[in-house]
Amino acid sequence: MEKDLDGRFERLEKAIGQMIDTLAKNNPSSKVAEELLAAERELTEGLKLLETHQNNNARIQELRQETSLLDTQIKDIASSLWNMRKELKAIPTTPKYPTSTKHQFTTSELLAYARRISRNTLPLPGVTNGVDMTPTQPPTQPTEPEDSFRLQSQPTQTQTPTTSFNLSFNGTVGTPGPMSAPTPNTTTNDTQPTTQQPPPSQQQQQHPTKATAEAKLPQHLKPAVNPLHDAAFHPWPTEDKIRMGGLAAIQRLVDRGVDPRGHDPEEEERRQREEEQARREAEERARQEREEAERRMREERERMARERERARQMEAAAGGGGGGGIERRESRGGEGAGAGAAGHKPKQFTFLGADDDDDDDEDD
Amino acid sequence: MESGPMSVDSSALDPPAVPEDGANEPKYGGYSRFELELEFVQSLANPQYLNYLASRKFLTNPAFVAYLDYLQYWTRPPYLKYLTFPTATLKMLELLQQEKFRQDIISPDLAMALFSEGMKTAVEWHREG
Repeated sequence: MEKDLDGRFERLEKAIGQMIDTLAKNNPSSKVAEELLAAERELTEGLKLLETHQNNNARIQELRQETSLLDTQIKDIASSLWNMRKELKAIPTTPKYPTSTKHQFTTSELLAYARRISRNTLPLPGVTNGVDMTPTQPPTQPTEPEDSFRLQSQPTQTQTPTTSFNLSFNGTVGTPGPMSAPTPNTTTNDTQPTTQQPPPSQQQQQHPTKATAEAKLPQHLKPAVNPLHDAAFHPWPTEDKIRMGGLAAIQRLVDRGVDPRGHDPEEEERRQREEEQARREAEERARQEREEAERRMREERERMARERERARQMEAAAGGGGGGGIERRESRGGEGAGAGAAGHKPKQFTFLGADDDDDDDEDD
Repeated sequence: MESGPMSVDSSALDPPAVPEDGANEPKYGGYSRFELELEFVQSLANPQYLNYLASRKFLTNPAFVAYLDYLQYWTRPPYLKYLTFPTATLKMLELLQQEKFRQDIISPDLAMALFSEGMKTAVEWHREG
């Protein structure tokens, strides 16, 4: 660019010099003048070009600056992104139990659960675990039914049995919210007839007298007044419960040297019962068999005796005795009639027959 | 309660099946794993029992600590709804995950304090209601 401009300057200078020369020689030539004009025009163009060149240059510089600025910006962003990523990765996440799947449940399930746990989360009315619940009584007492009742019963406060009954009735059946509050009330009212507090003091200030009434009640009478007197509410399984549980049962098994794995007491019991049953059946069967065998033996013996008897009778008949070939009963009758010792003796083999005969003899 | 040596492997990795579909699982002394673990995790709610476990050096046994970690499945459904002492059980299970608490509960004073606090809170929490 500079060279180009230099060339143009030189041309102009040369043209000017020629012009001056021609003027000095007093011989102006139009050709030289035109050359001067052309040179001048060219220089102007060149200068304009230079100007745009300079402008462009400035613009280039500007753009370069801008790019470098943007470059640093992008670097910053990249590095901060990197840092953020690192931080994110450094955050400890719970490794287990992704809560992605929400557990669905219905209202009835929720209510059923609430009912199931209520006996373990809310103490029975009157069970205070030794905590002084009296400060909550004043705000809970002015509820509608009790209040109106107290107004009615105010003149007859000395007849406390009815009031205490009604109050305890209200306390147990009434709203479940202040459950524990009314019951101490009932106990204190119950105490009044036994301790015989003077009525005026009761009427003028109820709470302090209540406290003294409770304090004056003999210790051994308190359970009679309130069955839950010494009852405690445990929000966890008590030692008794733990000792009655399955783990304790397993410990007992282990102590006995039984491996609890796969051991089922119910199954065991069933098996034992079955074994017992089988044993008893086997005994029964053996007994029956024995009886059967005895019976058979007896029959056999009787049969043999009968045969022998018959053989004897036949022998006797063959020998010329009376009643041969007739029935045994008849023959026995014949014996009774006087068959003689020969007919009587073998009969003794069968005891019954012999006895019968003896009886018959005695009768005779 | 258990007195034999324990190993990390002895605690199963997956929670037992809920009763509905666990009919044929093996029994231990006539009880299913579900029943026994439910009973045990609720027994942990009793501060005196924890004190007893600590005094028997269970709470410093790494295998037992791993078992306590495993028992945390009771804090999630569908197991959660079987806890009948949810308040104390969940709190104790949470506390038992901390080493400091496992070391401290061996002190009878702490057990006693937890006991009396628990008894007091049990009747006081619904006082306003």
